[in-house]
Amino acid sequence: MEALRAEVRAWIEKNHPGDPGFKLPQSPLEVADDRQFEWLRDWQRKLYDAGYVGAEWPREYGGFGRERGAQRVIDHELGRARAPFLLNIVALSWAGPMILRYGTEAHKRKFIAKLLRCDEIWCQGFSEPGSGSDLASLRTTALREGDSWRIDGHKVWTTLGRYADWCILLARTDPAAVKHAGISYFLAPMKTPGVEVLPLVKMTGEGGFNQVIWNSARMPADALLGREGQGWELATATLQFERGAAEGSAGGSGGASEQVARVAALARTLGRDADPVVRDRLAGFWIQETAIRANAQRSRNPGLVSDRPEALPLMQKLTSTEQAQALADFACELEGDAASLWIGDPEALENAEWQRSYMNSFAGTIAGGTSEILRNILGERVLGLPKTR
Amino acid sequence: MNAHIHYEEEHALMRAEARRWLDERFAIARVRSLADSAEGEDPADWKELASLGWLGLVIPEKHGGAGLGATHLAVLMEETGRRLLPSPLLPSTLAALALVLDGSEAQASRWLPAIASGETRAVYAKSASIWGAECADAFVVSTRDGVELVERGAAALSITPELVLDRTRRSARVTRNGVALASGEASARLTAWACVALAAEMAGGADALLAMTAAYAATREQFGKPIGSFQAVKHPLVNVLIGVESLRSLVYAAASALDVESADAETLARMAKAQASDVYVFAAARAVQLHGGFGFTLDCDAHLYLKRAQTTRPAFGDAMAQRRWLATRLADPTPATR
Repeated sequence: MEALRAEVRAWIEKNHPGDPGFKLPQSPLEVADDRQFEWLRDWQRKLYDAGYVGAEWPREYGGFGRERGAQRVIDHELGRARAPFLLNIVALSWAGPMILRYGTEAHKRKFIAKLLRCDEIWCQGFSEPGSGSDLASLRTTALREGDSWRIDGHKVWTTLGRYADWCILLARTDPAAVKHAGISYFLAPMKTPGVEVLPLVKMTGEGGFNQVIWNSARMPADALLGREGQGWELATATLQFERGAAEGSAGGSGGASEQVARVAALARTLGRDADPVVRDRLAGFWIQETAIRANAQRSRNPGLVSDRPEALPLMQKLTSTEQAQALADFACELEGDAASLWIGDPEALENAEWQRSYMNSFAGTIAGGTSEILRNILGERVLGLPKTR
Repeated sequence: MNAHIHYEEEHALMRAEARRWLDERFAIARVRSLADSAEGEDPADWKELASLGWLGLVIPEKHGGAGLGATHLAVLMEETGRRLLPSPLLPSTLAALALVLDGSEAQASRWLPAIASGETRAVYAKSASIWGAECADAFVVSTRDGVELVERGAAALSITPELVLDRTRRSARVTRNGVALASGEASARLTAWACVALAAEMAGGADALLAMTAAYAATREQFGKPIGSFQAVKHPLVNVLIGVESLRSLVYAAASALDVESADAETLARMAKAQASDVYVFAAARAVQLHGGFGFTLDCDAHLYLKRAQTTRPAFGDAMAQRRWLATRLADPTPATR
């Protein structure tokens, strides 16, 4: 592993793409124009060609078959070097692992290599206007018509929807069945008649977010993943990947480490690093940042999680997104008046990066299970508390 | 910051053995009756702690101890903390650590074998309020250039038991010629080991509180439902869970760092102690609050832990003190040389 670490470190030193000369989004959630899209697609392709995307995935489907833990080392080094993120996030972290776990041989051969290389982009069709935290109340339908399925419905908060070739889609295949039972899980085509993608604008003014209208769109019989009616089980498995509670991502989950050090540097720049109140808060953030990393370490040590095996995986997304949000807010507070400036103002610090981070941080605490829902799940699954209804 | 954690089968075995023994011997009723007793402990327990080898856990084998590392110590402390062990194992371990880490070879070979066997009860003078002092045979004090061991029979020594909040952990003021016997600033290594031991003990206590309160919330009914089904009760308990789980991770990361002599050990140990100081009191306060009117009574066990949490918080620095130190390290990330 140390050899791999050194190799990646050397590679990234030579191949870091640097500043593209235009504004990049902060995450795949805000990819809004073709220039950003193409630049990020090329970056993922370059990483794939170097063997750093899908490092642990099977060779026969386009992965690199490396030993367990290799991807984590790669992601950590990329995060450390502040390399750009990987574009095809839904594919690498959720759709791909789901296809590997539940897909047919034909699915794996058809999809895996292309998603790793960014030749095909994936999006997620779970949430609907009326079904957010109560996801199982979804109303989009997929009904059998001869040899195909007909989809009708409305999905929202669709990251990469505009660019996507495929969608992991939840739809009701048995409208008569009770709530969770009638749902199925599809690998649905996006570039097909009857699929309309409409952009949404975030509070930062950025795009990249969409809603998708399915109007009698067709998909072939083999679009079904798993069995008919197994959709809720597969949705839950997908959310485990999305929350970082299950391992198996093909890359891009390294995240930004050592964010507190960045804010400490900001405090120095602003001449506020001698203020004991500022120092106390910085140290508090540093402790939590380290605890999140130590939690990830401990979660891989079976002997130290036997009392509550599910606690650490289920905490991962909740703690890291709340930490990121609180830290970005603190950075804005440190900036004082400068925090009221926006991207492009010559006086804005770091071109308003922390303001943008703070606004965008709510994606983390809302998407893939809100912090409130995650606290319910932890209370019920880990502490054995009765269900909240 | 590296946070690698090494935890092997031998550690798990030690935990199972410690938990079994402590569960059997220190049911809460016995802890309460010892807390109510004049002495606060039972000499028979001390003998058992010696025969289990726990008094010499961190003492090198050549001095009659088990020569085990920080991860073993963390396991033992976590399990004793769960049961509010009413016996001065912790101050005795701190005394042994001070001699091992900062004592001269002559001090080590003179005293450590007797400490490991339980024959000499030495306690560490962490501050002017010394845990386990009333029944101690010797006091170990950190000085500028090492440690001093003061025997109970030394001239002009006066020992005054204190009236304490936590009656499962007794303390006394010890003066020599009218001057309080208390350590100066401990060495970096002793501080790191002590922070790990304390934080581990606090993690055990906080974890016991969480289990107790979650079990209560799952069964106590109001408005026709278990109160644990209400998010106003569930979410604070999950916040305790997150705090406790994060604390355990920091404790074992710090212990592993000590075991491999990593440069990050003191930083991680102080982080663990900071987290412990906040989380233990938080867990205890939520336990009292969520047990409602019963939580406020002497009959509910929550206050026993709350008092232990309050009592342990300042030792080797509370959360504020740890953050003050950590902020210095954050500003200047090169490892200290001390």
